[in-house]
Amino acid sequence: MTLLPQVLLDALLLGGLYCLMAVGLALCFGVTRIINFAHGEMIMLGAYGAFLLSLHFGIDPLLSLPLVALGVALIGGLVFKLCVQRVLDAPHVNQILLLFGVGLILQNIAVLIFTGDERSVTTAYSLASDQVFGMMVASGRLIAFAVSIGLTVGLIVWLRVSEMGRAIQAVAQQRDAAKLMGINVTAMYMVSFMVSAALGSATGAAMSFLLTITPFMGFHILIKGFAIVVLGGLGSVGGTLIAAFVLAFVETGVSYYMPEGGGWAEGVALAVLLIVLIMRPRGFLGQAVDN
Amino acid sequence: MPFAATAVVNDWIITAASMVILAVSWNLAASAGLISLGHSAFWGVGSYAAVLTANKLGLPLVVALIPAMLIGALLGALLALITGRLRGIFFAIATLALSEGLRVIAVMTPGFTGGGEGIYINPELRIGAHWVAAIMVVGALISILVTWMISRTSWHFAFRAMRANESAAQMLGVRPITFRVGILALAGAMAAFAGGVRVWYGGFIDPGMAFDLQITILAQIGPLLGGIYTLVGPVIGALLSVLLSEAARIWFGAQGFGLLVYGVALVLCILFLPHGVWGGVLQLWTYGRRRIRGKQ
Repeated sequence: MTLLPQVLLDALLLGGLYCLMAVGLALCFGVTRIINFAHGEMIMLGAYGAFLLSLHFGIDPLLSLPLVALGVALIGGLVFKLCVQRVLDAPHVNQILLLFGVGLILQNIAVLIFTGDERSVTTAYSLASDQVFGMMVASGRLIAFAVSIGLTVGLIVWLRVSEMGRAIQAVAQQRDAAKLMGINVTAMYMVSFMVSAALGSATGAAMSFLLTITPFMGFHILIKGFAIVVLGGLGSVGGTLIAAFVLAFVETGVSYYMPEGGGWAEGVALAVLLIVLIMRPRGFLGQAVDN
Repeated sequence: MPFAATAVVNDWIITAASMVILAVSWNLAASAGLISLGHSAFWGVGSYAAVLTANKLGLPLVVALIPAMLIGALLGALLALITGRLRGIFFAIATLALSEGLRVIAVMTPGFTGGGEGIYINPELRIGAHWVAAIMVVGALISILVTWMISRTSWHFAFRAMRANESAAQMLGVRPITFRVGILALAGAMAAFAGGVRVWYGGFIDPGMAFDLQITILAQIGPLLGGIYTLVGPVIGALLSVLLSEAARIWFGAQGFGLLVYGVALVLCILFLPHGVWGGVLQLWTYGRRRIRGKQ
């Protein structure tokens, strides 16, 4: 069983990225109770941001990440102000379809600007790898893992320690009570939407040297994000982190051990999503499901 | 030859009629509170069922549509049964996963579906585009007729109650699961019909085309543009959306503009015209009548 350590390592590194990918989605849902169907597009924008800065200015994706995150956070704020704020109390149908439409707009603006061609960012570390205890460690994946875990931990610390983070948690727990305590609920919604967008774009930037970048990449990533968030329990950040690693381990296991596993691994997230929705819609740590 | 039409006109008719079917089918499910983000699942299984049975048994299109609709209805009923207690967002995500999952299965079972390379219809079985257009139009008319008939029965009230509050509807004696199975089977059969006919026009199907997210987008754009939960709205909306995308294609030309226009239409409709164009017209009508009456 010399394969096993390699499988576990790969799964671990993938799980870190999945954490960052899903935690933004979980934050947005936990606070605003709106599922951001445009989250995949935030990831796509982040990847393109990193790509453009790397292409034109030669800035490393890791250095441009804060800049990209800031830019996409502003886009997220704009989307919130112009669209989401108006449907906060509307039926879920409207919210879902509205953000679906926003995603469609962002995606096709990207098609118009960048064309549908596949792009990629090449860095010194994106193809390098080391042998550690007989395991192949791809440097790019290791770096992406470190960035993801760092940002995820940063988010959790920010939510726990800072005043604004605690205000956001209060809004997530009880919107009306938070309002009575003098918290500006709409502002907190906007902040969490923007932070969520920034985290999405950071995911995109951290993936930019691992994946091919296309305007359509967001959708498949979004579905994986859904699978993780639903498995972990909607709105629970802790559950989301567990679920991210569970999905990563199952996917990696399938792609290593199953015949033609690479193709079937694509379907793991979907199977997980369907099974969890049917058997236990509240996931690992989620609250009871209401509408 | 029922009528002589140019290739472009045939293309428009097929697109418009298939959009009408999709819109009516999506609206039917939505009217019972079941928001589908996976209509491409029904469309795709319809396409595959029609092509596979036709190729295997040498069936003509009209006959091949029967297994297509059966499979579509079966998938709808199955979806209703397995998602029994899911509502709103959860149902929507489940449908999204279903459609994507079917795409992965279609790619990964090349022996059965032709895999990622796709599959051609036996050329001998193909028919002229005007016949495809005629069948699609008949299908659109039948689906409109069916929803009209439903709107004349008490089902229509049950749907409205389920949409507002499923638990309350249950208290009033509406058995949600029965209606869910019925409505999704019907909606599934309709979308599968459209998918089955459409594949005869192109003559080729692959997993990416069959379970394309775009089908899902097309299915919801009509009702939202025209007026969700109404009878006439989805039809108007579907025709309007064809017009919009054709206009965008002619004016701007570039790839991506058609879908961009859909996205903008979707967002603007939800924000400013939540009852769609038809709802807007109705509002204007009642407003105008009130004004006139006020003057008298």
